[in-house]
Amino acid sequence: MMHLIALPVLLPLVTGLLLLLLAGRKNFGLNRAISLVGAGLLVLVAALLFYTASSGVIQVYAMGDWAPPFGIVLVLDRLSALMVLVTSVLAFFSIWYAAGTMDHPAYNLNGLMHLLLLGINGAFLTGDLFNLFVCFEVLLLASYALLIQGDGPDRAKAALHYVVLNLAGSSLFLIAVATLYGITGTLNMADMAAKVAQLPEDRAPIVGTAALLFLVVFGLKAAVVPLYFWLPRAYSAASAPVAAMFAIMTKIGVYAIARMYTLIFGDQAGHLANLVQPWLWPLALTTLTLGFIGVLASRTLRMQVSYLVIISVGTLLAGLAIDTQASLSATFYYLAHSTWVCGALYLIVDLIRHQREDGSDEIKSGPALPQATTLGLLFFAGGLSVAGMPPLSGFIGKLLLLKAAGTGYEAIWLWSLVLLSGLAAITALSRSGSTFFWRTSGVATTGKAQAWPLAATIGLLATTLALALWGEPMIAYTDALAEQLLNPERYIQSVLRHTTVGG
Amino acid sequence: MELLISIMLAVMTACGIYLMLRGRTFPVIVGLTLFTYAVNLFIFVMGRLTAGAPPIIGSGESYADPLPQALVLTAIVISFAMTAFVLVLALRARAELGNDHVDGAPVNEREDSRV
Amino acid sequence: MTLLLIVLLPLFGSLVPLATERYGRNICAWSASIAPLISLGLLISLVPGVMAGETLRYHREWLPSLGLDLSLRLDGLGLMFALLITGIGLLVLLYARYYLSSKDSLGRLYALLQIFMLAMLGIVLSDNILLMLVFWELTSLSSFLLIGYWSHQSDARKGARMALAVTGAGGLCLLAGALLLGHIVGSFNLGDILAAGDQIRAHSLYPITLILVLLGAFTKSAQFPFHFWLPHAMSAPTPVSAYLHSATMVKAGVFLLARLYPALAGTELWFFLVSFTGLATMVYGAYTALFKHDLKGLLAYSTISHLGLITLLFGFNTQLAAAAAVFHIINHATFKASLFMAAGIIDHETGTRDMLKLHGLWKYMPHTALLAMVASAAMAGVPLLNGFLSKEMFFAESLQLEYLGSLSWIMPVLATLGALFSVAYSWRFIHDVFFNGEPVDLPKYPPHEPPRFMKVPVEMLVVLCLVVGIFPNYTVEPFMHAAASAVLGREMPEYHLALWHGFNLPLLMSGIALAGGLLLYSQRKGLFAFYERKYRSDEKLVFEARVQRSVRLAQWVTDRLENGSLQRYMALFVGSALVAGAIGIWPLQEWTGSQALTPVDPVSLIAAGLLIVGSFGTVLIHHNRFAALLLLSVVGLVVSLTFIRFSAPDLALTQISVEVVTIVLLMLALYFLPQLTPNESGRKRVARDVVLSGAAGTGVGLLCWTVLTRPFSSISDYFLENSVSGGGGSNVVNVILVDFRGFDTLGEITVLALAAVGIYAMLHGLKLPLPYVDSDGRRWAREPHPPILSVMTRVLLPLAIMVSLYIFLRGHNMPGGGFIAGLVTSVALILQYISTGTDWMQQRLRWNYRKVAASGVMIATLTGLASWLFGYPFLTSTFTYLHWPVVGKFEVASAMAFDVGVYITVVGATMLILAHLGRLAQSTHEPPATNEKGEKI
Repeated sequence: MMHLIALPVLLPLVTGLLLLLLAGRKNFGLNRAISLVGAGLLVLVAALLFYTASSGVIQVYAMGDWAPPFGIVLVLDRLSALMVLVTSVLAFFSIWYAAGTMDHPAYNLNGLMHLLLLGINGAFLTGDLFNLFVCFEVLLLASYALLIQGDGPDRAKAALHYVVLNLAGSSLFLIAVATLYGITGTLNMADMAAKVAQLPEDRAPIVGTAALLFLVVFGLKAAVVPLYFWLPRAYSAASAPVAAMFAIMTKIGVYAIARMYTLIFGDQAGHLANLVQPWLWPLALTTLTLGFIGVLASRTLRMQVSYLVIISVGTLLAGLAIDTQASLSATFYYLAHSTWVCGALYLIVDLIRHQREDGSDEIKSGPALPQATTLGLLFFAGGLSVAGMPPLSGFIGKLLLLKAAGTGYEAIWLWSLVLLSGLAAITALSRSGSTFFWRTSGVATTGKAQAWPLAATIGLLATTLALALWGEPMIAYTDALAEQLLNPERYIQSVLRHTTVGG
Repeated sequence: MELLISIMLAVMTACGIYLMLRGRTFPVIVGLTLFTYAVNLFIFVMGRLTAGAPPIIGSGESYADPLPQALVLTAIVISFAMTAFVLVLALRARAELGNDHVDGAPVNEREDSRV
Repeated sequence: MTLLLIVLLPLFGSLVPLATERYGRNICAWSASIAPLISLGLLISLVPGVMAGETLRYHREWLPSLGLDLSLRLDGLGLMFALLITGIGLLVLLYARYYLSSKDSLGRLYALLQIFMLAMLGIVLSDNILLMLVFWELTSLSSFLLIGYWSHQSDARKGARMALAVTGAGGLCLLAGALLLGHIVGSFNLGDILAAGDQIRAHSLYPITLILVLLGAFTKSAQFPFHFWLPHAMSAPTPVSAYLHSATMVKAGVFLLARLYPALAGTELWFFLVSFTGLATMVYGAYTALFKHDLKGLLAYSTISHLGLITLLFGFNTQLAAAAAVFHIINHATFKASLFMAAGIIDHETGTRDMLKLHGLWKYMPHTALLAMVASAAMAGVPLLNGFLSKEMFFAESLQLEYLGSLSWIMPVLATLGALFSVAYSWRFIHDVFFNGEPVDLPKYPPHEPPRFMKVPVEMLVVLCLVVGIFPNYTVEPFMHAAASAVLGREMPEYHLALWHGFNLPLLMSGIALAGGLLLYSQRKGLFAFYERKYRSDEKLVFEARVQRSVRLAQWVTDRLENGSLQRYMALFVGSALVAGAIGIWPLQEWTGSQALTPVDPVSLIAAGLLIVGSFGTVLIHHNRFAALLLLSVVGLVVSLTFIRFSAPDLALTQISVEVVTIVLLMLALYFLPQLTPNESGRKRVARDVVLSGAAGTGVGLLCWTVLTRPFSSISDYFLENSVSGGGGSNVVNVILVDFRGFDTLGEITVLALAAVGIYAMLHGLKLPLPYVDSDGRRWAREPHPPILSVMTRVLLPLAIMVSLYIFLRGHNMPGGGFIAGLVTSVALILQYISTGTDWMQQRLRWNYRKVAASGVMIATLTGLASWLFGYPFLTSTFTYLHWPVVGKFEVASAMAFDVGVYITVVGATMLILAHLGRLAQSTHEPPATNEKGEKI
């Protein structure tokens, strides 16, 4: 089935448009049904692609049947397959959660969610640099529209900051991509990799400049210091399913960094070989540090989760910076883990919040929640996982990364920071946890959570257990992924040698 | 000509970014628009400067590079959508926050010049 | 398999009580103890084998690539501990049944206790240090929940968090240590590690590894200076204290010392770190215990001191000392657990644990008193009791030391001192509580014996103390032998436990300790007063203060950084871009490349001048927003002229039409916003921004220059060649848009549709204050729209539609296309709207524009999907030629349908934005809003 690769893009597109067309008060139930089914199908497709990609074959899909590098291609390798899978699983549970809770007809939450997926999956699959920009814009505008759902000054302000900064980011993206085109004369990543490899001395620095500008663009997406300040407020302002879905957004930046600086500016890039990795290291460590400081500082649960997201970003970048097969493998195992668990945490916090009488998630004592035990257990499990406590996936991810760091000078930094951030997470989460579930007086009059959102939350949280139990096959996959990532020749060849249907 | 274009770009970018750094939504949006013009022009000239040879087959023997033009078209549309969106967002923020400062803070609290 | 069963049974057991709780406490208790009973039974069945010196193993792969496997082992050491854990665990379950008041959930306590039991068994049985670590952290977590069992008490919460923080931190250190061990040995398998002792000790990483592992052990075993969490863990229910904080969990640390003894011990570093920590802990703990008025507080500190003793013994680096350590672990577990239970009984029956109130209980509860007295005698190391034997060995070993050279006498002296204190506090426990006058206003009076079965566990343990103390060789000797040989990794040296070794130095030391202890206690009055004067510090408060301070610091830092100022973030963004660019361009030798330059003509010069003036003007007068807008449009105009100048007619058309719409939008928006921008940026900020933006401009200019002056070849020739033949259109740009790169365009119109949806959502129910007057105080004209204009535009509309249709059709070959056509249509409609107002429009265009936009994208998508029917990829196009009047020969490409989609989307999106902004104006028109805030409808 040759079109399978295109489905992660087309399925959400069609579903999303369908939902927009059917929008309106009367067919509300239908809307949710379609949305959920669409998301479910997407998970199936992603699983299928994951399976096919695990064989190591790199598949290419030429849009409009124009041979690369002239047309736009979608490329499926182990990395993109993993990212698509992570995204669609997260999306499925978020949408499921949303189906059980709020969705104002005027907002088209479901439609926007699917168009967001179109952008995200497109970004993971596309093999064309300008098309990457377009996908970024799609997912950004979708995320803007999702972010401003509902009202309230915090939300408006957070949205404004998020939007304006990202508009600036997009412009920088265009400058960078245009510069690359102006020198290499191509937009196809594989082709560009080939061209960059034999750049003459007098042009390499210009391309290098573009490469570093890209680091800024992706850094803004990934929320790297000093460009992460917009994130905590924005994510905390978003409605729960949206915030959960946003858990993947930072990882898009991480993905883009991983892709661009291994494929185009990797070992084989001549004068520009590995030009950003040295800069990644300090950035990663600083992000990590500020992340766990933020976790300690957080005054609301959602802020706390948001800073946990930033910690995960720092950790991931550290893995990319070390840039060995082991470290990359660890990075992508950890990526799957942190995306899902942080997403789940946003949902859990939302459930907690709604059982508070004032509906706020401020970390202060209040009446006991009607479902204290259930939510307490969920929060406990999520906290353990994200803090890297055994036996859940966070522990395994951190272990992999620490092992990958070796015992050199790099290890000293990474170990101390990763372990410290773990400790900070434990301390902070035990504080907020005991405040919410132990330091209580009386029982809140709020109702219990509905079955659906609860089930969705548990489902998403269960992934951390799955990642732990079936860790071995997963690690095997990420190992192979890293190996593929570090040897881009096969990627380049399979794209440039791709033959169209029309021949 | 190349020099002239570079200077034009430099000026537009500088002015655009300066406005983007202002504290009120409207100048920021104006700045964004200006910067967008600059970026579009930048993309366009990356295909180098070719006079009197529009990429329409049959209109001549040599043609200007069509690809950047297509890219700019896409970029223009997208930035149009973005501008419209951020504009309405600014109105929304004005309604929610009660004033048009990007941080929604009352003016008197914003007198400081934190750098 | 049996091993796995032994470990996992408690997990099953933890679920049972939760289920059976509702059937009454007895059933709950019995059902809960089934699983541990089976575990214990299985263990006992394995005893003979282990005694015979064999080591049972279970192995199952979990994460081999990580070196983390599910592998268990049962040797002497593991067996001894496993027996302790399950045995005492059962007694605690029985005890808790009677201890817990009816309002507390028995099921929950049982569940947690058994989860903890599982974790402990895991630690002592795992054959892989990473696996051990997993269980290690699990004990910290379950103890966190157990200490916090009475979560309504602030002490319980704080104590729980403190314990978690300290032991958790230790666990992380241990994790690092374990990783290093694995790195040195090349395997995380315990067997390999124990075998590689010499290799480890010789390795350059040995010191750091040792320190990390020890940190793990010391925090867990509450060694000085990490001891402070243990006393505060005493706010847990007494069964928990008896189980976790005397018998098992705190022993995990010393177990680790024992387990890794062959791998790590035997060096000077080991001796100094371990023995001195142990020594300090022993003396300090014993000393402090004497002054605690809370029963459990006393027991807690005595526990600390005994753990110190055990650690010290391991530190001695001699085989017999290690054996003695193992022996004392058993003994301490028995007598301390029974003491805790006794304390619990007293608390339970009198309602207090305060030794200033508890006196003369002998006549109220003689039986309990007897038990407690025997147990504390064992604690004091009185002959005929197990405590005596291990203490004798300890004294004997303390005399054998050679590390300290001339200072060797210190060790025995301090050892005796510690023993002396322990005698004193043990005696205090007995004398204060059971004699020493009458009880002082007890909450429950008169106290009486507890229920029969509550005493059973205590009795069993006390009997154990006696039996072991009198017939060591027939009871504990074989276990100890097996355990010790497992610790040493070789056969244990010849030694036989006996009550009587004749008159020798150790005996003398015991004597001194006993006598001195009694003497010290007799002087207590003065001592207590002295202690009260001296130390009055509560570690809990200190810890809380520390946490609070770090939180405040963190908040200070965070608030400085993430201060919610967009201007700051934007500046940071621009700054980072500049830095990145500078780093990138640094290696460039020549700004100017080899490419020949194109000549400048006066017209372009003038245009450029206009643009520059326009840009600067926009900045200079940006405080007057309207004027700024006009200048902005001038800039846009020049840009589109530049497009024409360099042969891009499509761009010029698009740029102009987009600009018209944009400007109209901005004006509409301006209608709701203040007309003037206040001048609020301070000089410093302006200076900063000028520098930043100036640098950025220069950067972009230079980048452009460097690129433009370098030769260029691109993939575009392909498009020029295949545009007609492959795409069926001679306007290459348009063919690229709808065909070569149709996917981009699809994304682009999706963005448009999204913008429409988002904007609709934002405007939904939005109400804005409407300005009465403009910046110059003129009232806004309210009267309806000028008639001539409206008439004209009504005539104009169909014409405009025609034009856009034409533009659309020729688009594939001449400049034009769906997007421009769409914009032209919308511009016409806008004119309509400006001249006649929304009502007129709404009457005629009753569409849901969101759906119009969406359907446009849908059409485009379906066109793309159609190619699947012919077995081609998404968006593959085909075309044929037609002849039409007026337009002439033009080709119908499937791409045209795609372009129709584009057209519809553009119209839909643009109209939605404008119409809704317009309706906003209407809805907010009357009555004029007076307050500054816009509120929802």
